[in-house]
Amino acid sequence: MNPAKKVLALITLFTLIILVITPYLGLSDHLTPAIQQKILMDIRLPRLLLAFIVGAGLAVCGLVFQAMFHNPLATPFTLGVASGASLGAALSVFLGVGFGFLGLSSTTLFAFIGALVTIRFVYGISCMRTGFSLHTLLLTGVAISFFFSSLILLIQYLNDLPDAYRLIRWLMGSLSIVGYDAIWQLLPFIVFAVAVIFYLSHELNLLTTGDDIALSRGVNVRKTRFLLFVTTSLCIGAIVSLCGPIGFVGMMVPHICRLLIGQNHRWLIPASCLFGGGFLIICDTIGRLLIAPAEIPVGVITTLLGGPFFLWLLIRTRTPIS
Amino acid sequence: MSFLAVSDLSVSIGEKALLSSVSVDVAKGDYLCILGQNGAGKSTFLKALMGIISFDTGDITLEQQPFRLLSQKQLARSVSYVGQNHPILDMTVSDFIRFGRYAHHDAFATWSTTDQTAFDTAVALTDIAVFLERHCASLSGGEYQRVQIAAALCQQAPMLLLDEPTSSLDPHHQVDVHDLIQQLNQTHQITIIEVTHDINHAVQHSQHILALKSGQVLWYGASSDLLTSATLPQVYDQGFVTVAHPETGQLIALTSEGQQ
Repeated sequence: MNPAKKVLALITLFTLIILVITPYLGLSDHLTPAIQQKILMDIRLPRLLLAFIVGAGLAVCGLVFQAMFHNPLATPFTLGVASGASLGAALSVFLGVGFGFLGLSSTTLFAFIGALVTIRFVYGISCMRTGFSLHTLLLTGVAISFFFSSLILLIQYLNDLPDAYRLIRWLMGSLSIVGYDAIWQLLPFIVFAVAVIFYLSHELNLLTTGDDIALSRGVNVRKTRFLLFVTTSLCIGAIVSLCGPIGFVGMMVPHICRLLIGQNHRWLIPASCLFGGGFLIICDTIGRLLIAPAEIPVGVITTLLGGPFFLWLLIRTRTPIS
Repeated sequence: MSFLAVSDLSVSIGEKALLSSVSVDVAKGDYLCILGQNGAGKSTFLKALMGIISFDTGDITLEQQPFRLLSQKQLARSVSYVGQNHPILDMTVSDFIRFGRYAHHDAFATWSTTDQTAFDTAVALTDIAVFLERHCASLSGGEYQRVQIAAALCQQAPMLLLDEPTSSLDPHHQVDVHDLIQQLNQTHQITIIEVTHDINHAVQHSQHILALKSGQVLWYGASSDLLTSATLPQVYDQGFVTVAHPETGQLIALTSEGQQ
């Protein structure tokens, strides 16, 4: 059996175990079976499924960014795309825009536009003058993140207190939902993104070798990049408008998958989806159990894990940004 | 009938003109060397031919097809390219060479026997079978250069563009790579365009030479005529003397010590 296949099978097994075990953790024995059943079906299961698809979406978008920019530190979160999406979503709530377009809610639409404009802008800046520079890309991402965070703070400040509080909670990234509506709302975006990205897996393989080699092997780099920008922005926009910015999943999961399964995106994409889903379920379960009965938002958990991971990457990689 | 016809090609970045009105015809099976000072536009010319940078004005036709109508994939089936700086890649040699088949595949293609034959041929020609499973980062400069050429050959394009393929190699590996290019051109009828700083190599091995200066064509002709041409000192703003090679009797150029 091909080693990549073996690793993928193990990751699938790991995810299945997580899926089966986590809903029962922290379920009180004092409750009647009927109530336990109700908690499982109406609260735990939808939350589990949401965590899975959000984790899968974030991981696969992170994977795409790392491949496009040939660096593990370049992800939608670090390049300010998630902040752009957050700003868009916050703006639509603040302005009270209520229209929908082609089945997108206005929040999702604003978040999508925020994400797409940010990535175009950050990438555009990084290509100015002497062609693409990774340093400029990462630093522009940092600057844009700060800038957008301030704008979001401003929106918070201008809002009345309950709204401001809701905004803060949302910005921490949370998966607490009841019922299945949110899942049906989000699922099409994730499925669409994963399908497009899987369709482009050969192109992603070649993009990791740099634009010159990719072009000389026959990849239409400009078109591919544009498609990937739109797809990932849509996916990130949908996730952020629903769950808030959940950081670092898109950095940690694809990088760990690369170490486990190698560089072929044919295997990396399914592996990142499964592992990302499983990973976010674990993080959410930790957040749910750590100070039970209170909850820590899942975004706080992932960022607490992500910070040290980012540092580890910086130290471990010989030339992290060259 | 020319394989590649470039007419009035101009490329600029912002205000700066990198190439202006370059025209050249390359026949099938030709071996063209491009000489010129640093910044003369040699690499730009190759990149324009590979579609890596776009050109402002002028026309390129490839096998009678207008360049602008070719998709990047179609282009890659006719032209392959080995650049000057190779990024250190986080993959095995064999994975990297396999990418050469991209232009022949659609999204869901599987590895066919045709692909395997192309792969095996490229590996055999460049003699890299022994380190196929090694990691790209672990190779020496000479080995990595052969791998890059193998990856381009796996594309099975009738034309190969090489940007200073020997400039970072020691004399032994330079001869190795020169012999390989010669073999590709003569035995396999691959049309070669090579950017080089090695005048003697260009004169001895190529059929035609194109000398660029400040983005314009300074000299174009049969390679054997360059050393006797009055234009030679202008190519590099450097005087040359020519002497007969003690072994072969062929004329070779040495930089002149005296005043120009």
